[in-house]
Amino acid sequence: MKLSKKVVLIGHFGVGKSSLIRRFVENTFTEDYKVTIGVHILKKDIQIPETNKDVTLVIWDLEGNDDITNTRPSYLIGTHGFIYVFDLTRPNTYKNLEFDLNYIKERYPNLPVKVIGNKKDLVTNEFIKENKEIFKQYVDLYTSAKTGKNVEEVFNQLAKSLV
Amino acid sequence: MLEEYKKNYAQSVNQYLIVDTEGNIKESDDVIFKKIEGKHISDIHPFFESLTATLTEKNKDLVFSCIHLNDEEGNTIITDIIVKTFDGKKPPLIVILDLTVHYNNYQTTAQVRNESVINSQILELKNEYLKEKEAFKNAFIANFNHELRDPITGILTFSEILKKTGLTDEQTNYIKVMDSSTNYLKQLIEDILDISKIESGKAEIILEPFNLHELLDEIAQIHKINSEKKGLEFITDFNSNLPQIVGGDKMKLRQVLSNLLSNAIKFTEVGSITFKASLNQTRARKANIHFEISDTGIGIPEEDQNSIFESFKQLNHSYKYTGSGLGLAIAKHYVELTGNKITVDSTVGKGSTFSTNLNFRIDPSYKLEKSNNEETSFIESDKKYNILLVDDSEITQLSVLKILASKGNYFLDIATKGEDVIPKVTNYDSPVDLILLDIKLPDINGDEVAKLVRKLPEREHKKIPIIALTARVFKDDLKKYKKAGINDVVKKPFDEDTLLTKIREHLK
Ligand SMILES: Nc1nc2c(ncn2[C@@H]2O[C@H](COP(=O)(O)OP(=O)(O)OP(=O)(O)O)[C@@H](O)[C@H]2O)c(=O)[nH]1
Ligand SMILES: [Mg+2]
Repeated sequence: MKLSKKVVLIGHFGVGKSSLIRRFVENTFTEDYKVTIGVHILKKDIQIPETNKDVTLVIWDLEGNDDITNTRPSYLIGTHGFIYVFDLTRPNTYKNLEFDLNYIKERYPNLPVKVIGNKKDLVTNEFIKENKEIFKQYVDLYTSAKTGKNVEEVFNQLAKSLV
Repeated sequence: MLEEYKKNYAQSVNQYLIVDTEGNIKESDDVIFKKIEGKHISDIHPFFESLTATLTEKNKDLVFSCIHLNDEEGNTIITDIIVKTFDGKKPPLIVILDLTVHYNNYQTTAQVRNESVINSQILELKNEYLKEKEAFKNAFIANFNHELRDPITGILTFSEILKKTGLTDEQTNYIKVMDSSTNYLKQLIEDILDISKIESGKAEIILEPFNLHELLDEIAQIHKINSEKKGLEFITDFNSNLPQIVGGDKMKLRQVLSNLLSNAIKFTEVGSITFKASLNQTRARKANIHFEISDTGIGIPEEDQNSIFESFKQLNHSYKYTGSGLGLAIAKHYVELTGNKITVDSTVGKGSTFSTNLNFRIDPSYKLEKSNNEETSFIESDKKYNILLVDDSEITQLSVLKILASKGNYFLDIATKGEDVIPKVTNYDSPVDLILLDIKLPDINGDEVAKLVRKLPEREHKKIPIIALTARVFKDDLKKYKKAGINDVVKKPFDEDTLLTKIREHLK
C-alpha cells in the first residue's frame, strides 16, 4: 500500500487554510470567504522532490478558531504533521503564536510543524522586516494562496520531514 | 433548542457499518453509501484512512463531529461519525449520522460571526494606522515649526537693527514690507502649531487671574490700528459692569478675540467693526461674559457658515484674502475646550456677527497684577552686567549679541554646550550675573544644566538668575523648567523688547 500521511491545517479563522489547500490541490483561488465548519478532508498524491518518493497527503482542513484550546481533539488523532497558518494582515491571528505552538508541541512533541505567514501578497517585505522579532524565530515560510507563492513548498517541505 | 435538535436529528439518516480491525467492510445497510460491503472503509472517503489505526484498539468510543463527506452523487453531506470498538471478540461498529441540515444552519451562523469579527479587526487596524499617521504628522509639524523659529528670530532682530542704521525712505519702506511678511510668516507658524496641538489633543486650558479690562483695551488698540489702516471705523462697546480681575485662560481668550477681529477686518472693505463685551450674569463665583464682534463686510452664505471653522478652509477657497485660514478654526476649538460655542449670524453683502458666551472665575483672593511699568524704573546705570548665553544656534547668538550690544551695559559670554556652563559660572574672574539658557542643547538638556547650577556650593553661583530661551512652552515643559530652578522663560522667536524687559526684571 502507498505511504499515506495525515496533515492538519490549523489556525485562526479566515487566515487562508482552505485557500492554501485549494491552491495546492486544485490550483485555484477565490476571493470569496466561505467559513469552514468542522473539517474538510482532501487527498493529494505527491512525489517528494530529490528523493522521488511517492506519498499520499490526507489533508485535514480544520475550522478556524481564535482559541487553539477549543480544537476538537478527535480531529487530531493519527496526525503526522501540522501546518500552522496565520494571516500577516491581522495581528490578532499571530499574537498568540508562541502559546499556540507550545500547545501543539506539548501534546505532539515529535511531530513536525510548519509555521506559515499567509497573504504575503498583501504586505510588503519592509513590513516583515519591521516585525522580524515576532516572525523570525517562528515562521518557516511566507505564502500567498492568491498568487501561489510558496504553497507547493510548504507541503513539499512538510512531506519531506514525514518520510 | 431541544426542539430544534429533535427536528434536525429526526430528519437525520444513519448508516451502520460493521468492519474488521483492518477496516474492511463486513456488513452495511445501503442508506447513504450503497453496495460497499467488501470494500475498504478508506474507499468511502479519505476521512476513514485515519481510522484504521484505532480499529485495532479495544473498547474505544469515539465521536467525530461535523465531518464533510461526499455522497454517491457527489453532493457534500455533513455528518457525525461514531466509532466503537469492543473487547476484541465483537467486530468494530461505525455509525454515520447525516446531519447536513443541522450543520448548514450552523454554517450560516459561523459565517456571520467570523465575518463580523474579521471586519472589526480590520477596522481596528485601520484606525490604529490612521492614528499613528496623525500622531506622526503632528510631531512632524511641531518639530518643523520649532526649527523655523530661530531663523525668524534672526530676521526680526536684524531688521530692527537695520532700521537704526540711517536708511533712506525707500529702504525703510522695503524693510516695513519685509517686517510684515516676516510677521505674517511667524503668525502662520504659530497658527499651524496651535492647530496641531489642538488636533493632537495637547491643547489645554490654563487658569490664571488676569485683568480683563486691560486685556480688552490692548486687543482693541491693535485692531483699531489695523482697521483704520483700511479706512474702517472701529467701535468698542465694553459694558462698565465687566469684572476687572477674572480667572481664565488669558492667552487663549486673547487669541480667540484677536482671530475673530482679524477675520472681521479682513473681510470688510467699507464700514465698521464693532467689538462688544458685556456681563450676562454672575453666579457662584462665575461670571458669564458675552463677547460679540460684528462687521459690515461681505458676509457668509448660510451653507458655508459651518465650514468656515474648518482648518485650511480658506486656503482651499480663495486667494484674494491672505491668512492661514486657521484663525477661525483655532478660535472655535479654544472656545469648545471651555465647553462653549461660537455662533455666527450673517447676511451676504451686509456683514457678519460672531458671538460667544464664556465663563470666568471670580475670586476675591485675586489681586490686581503689578503694573507693568517697571521697565522704566530700571536704571540703565553705569553698572555692567555679565550675561552668559548658552545656545548652539549662531542665529540666536548673533541676535542676542546685537540686542545687548546696542544697550552698552552688557557683556555677553557664549557657551555652545551644557558642559561649558559650570566652568564659566564658577570662574571668579568674571562673575556671571544672568544666564540665558537654550533648552535643546547638543549635549545635555538646558533644564539639566539649570539643576547643576542650582546645586553649586557657593551661594553667589547657585542664585544666578536663569532665563530659558525656548520654543518649547507646553504646560508640562514650563513645569519642568520651574522644577529645574529656571526663573523665567522667553519664548522663541523673541523680539528686542521682550528679551530686554525680562533681563532687566531679573537683574534688579
Ligand atoms: N489576498 C489574499 N487573500 C487570501 C489569501 N488566502 C486567503 N485569502 C482570502 O482570505 C479569506 C479567507 O480564506 P479561507 O481560505 O476561507 O480562510 P480559512 O483559514 O479557511 O478560514 P476558516 O475556514 O474560517 O478557518 C478569503 O476571502 C480568501 O479569499 C492570500 O494569500 N491572499
Ligand atoms: Mg477554511
